[in-house]
Amino acid sequence: MRKLSSILKAVCVLALASPLALAWAPPSWLPGVLAPSFEAALQASFRQLSVTLAATLAVTTLLTVALGYLSVLSMRFGRTGASILNSVESVPSILVALFCYAPVSGYLARHASGASQTVSLAVFILAAALTALPEAVRSVAIPLGDLYHRKYSLSFRSYGFTKRRILAVLMGSRGMRNTLKRVAAAVVLKTLVLDCSFGFIIQLGFGSYGTPAHASPGALIAAHRDALFDGGTPILFWLPSLLLVLISLSFLLTLGDRKEVAA
Amino acid sequence: MRFLRFLARELLLRGVVFTVAGTAILACLYLASIGALAESWAGTGRSFLLLISGSRDFSIEHPGFNAGQIIASGAAVTFPLAMASLILLTLAALFSSTRATVARYRSSRHGQLYAEGVRNASQLASSVLAAVPLFVGFWVLATGFGSRATFPLIAVATVVLGGLSWDATRFLASDMLRNVESTHATVFSTLGRPLGRVFPLPGTFCGYLFSSSLPRFIPYLAGKVPAIIGAVTIAEIVFSFPGLGSTLLEALLATDTDLLVASVFILLIVNAIVAFLVKTILFLIYPRWYEKAL
Repeated sequence: MRKLSSILKAVCVLALASPLALAWAPPSWLPGVLAPSFEAALQASFRQLSVTLAATLAVTTLLTVALGYLSVLSMRFGRTGASILNSVESVPSILVALFCYAPVSGYLARHASGASQTVSLAVFILAAALTALPEAVRSVAIPLGDLYHRKYSLSFRSYGFTKRRILAVLMGSRGMRNTLKRVAAAVVLKTLVLDCSFGFIIQLGFGSYGTPAHASPGALIAAHRDALFDGGTPILFWLPSLLLVLISLSFLLTLGDRKEVAA
Repeated sequence: MRFLRFLARELLLRGVVFTVAGTAILACLYLASIGALAESWAGTGRSFLLLISGSRDFSIEHPGFNAGQIIASGAAVTFPLAMASLILLTLAALFSSTRATVARYRSSRHGQLYAEGVRNASQLASSVLAAVPLFVGFWVLATGFGSRATFPLIAVATVVLGGLSWDATRFLASDMLRNVESTHATVFSTLGRPLGRVFPLPGTFCGYLFSSSLPRFIPYLAGKVPAIIGAVTIAEIVFSFPGLGSTLLEALLATDTDLLVASVFILLIVNAIVAFLVKTILFLIYPRWYEKAL
């Protein structure tokens, strides 16, 4: 019974996150109810979002595993790293994103080519990784440290295993794999929120010149914000918003479920 | 002595030094990345010094632009909004966690399974609300109320949408629920004290569980201050309030380095003040927990 409910939940989560996969479907698959230009923009924005999420997840997870491992391996490195990451965490993430974006805004506005898209993506990955890393590293280093000080780790030591090797073994344990899954869900959710909020603000402030190389759903919503006023077409505002709610909900359910298990 | 150490650490090191150093580092990164000339570096540095010293004409390029105006916008809009959101977040987490604890207690001790059902339904509802992007909620509010939207209303949206209260409730509820079945909680429940159905008041069962979760909950709240400030910044931009968020965006639009640095500095000060207030509460209630957290 428990297994059935888990399967149903997994199907539900996948269905909620499906807009990210549907963004890669051929345009002929779309219902064609809305204006073709809007449908194209909608698809492009969610496609861009999926690329940003995947790239940020890959970079942040790699950094998290490396920094978490090194933090437990070397006490001094762990303390110094924690101080630096705590300082970064004290700055609001939207401020970090604005500061990362500000220096390259001129470059992005001048170039609408592939190079500009690459730079834009790199800037977003940098900003998102900076804001997500402190919590992610903490979430890995604390349970890894706890595992290392448990009884069976002590017996590992008595057999002459080095600390480096014990930690490598512990990183592959089921507990740590579950931790990494939770960390991944949290990173993706944070990146989604940051990307869309940032896209909305930049579109609001800079208009169409804001992020020409970065088609975020947040920017699309901001571009159609007047649709809520009299005479507008509210679906242009609500459709991307609803899709974002569904995707966020899938990550929240994943995160909530795992937290409950962890508790 | 312990209090002096607390003040030195939180007020001087994490407050003043972090704010000044943080602004200086961000400004240097910005100037370096835009390839600013030596004069720009010197001008920005001079303006920053004038701002810190409280000079009337802090900007060399824009004489007459008063630093007090930026500080006032932070004091009048950003700070009260952040404080209102923090208080609401605390109340929402306390209420929801108490309801979750009562539901668990009733289902486990009295077999009242409907209580857990109600709890699961409300959990799903709060997850749906948390999934609504903050800016979407703000824009819907702005469409309905315009700049007449009141601070409490914006604070409610800041807390309920975007996941702040969802996360805080999860944190506190899981901490309290972990102790529901513990031996000491079972012993306490035999004393015949009330459950505390709405808030974990002292002397109630929920209050008893909350007292052991509080030392972990306060540092959690302190860690959420930057997220609240970030949300408030978005609210200011959407509602066109003359706060620090709007000033920051204006500075970015006009590529005004002086204004950008000044608004970041004040934003970090507001951030540091709110975090300091939360940590002071932790220190006053649980000085040993504060020391342990270090």
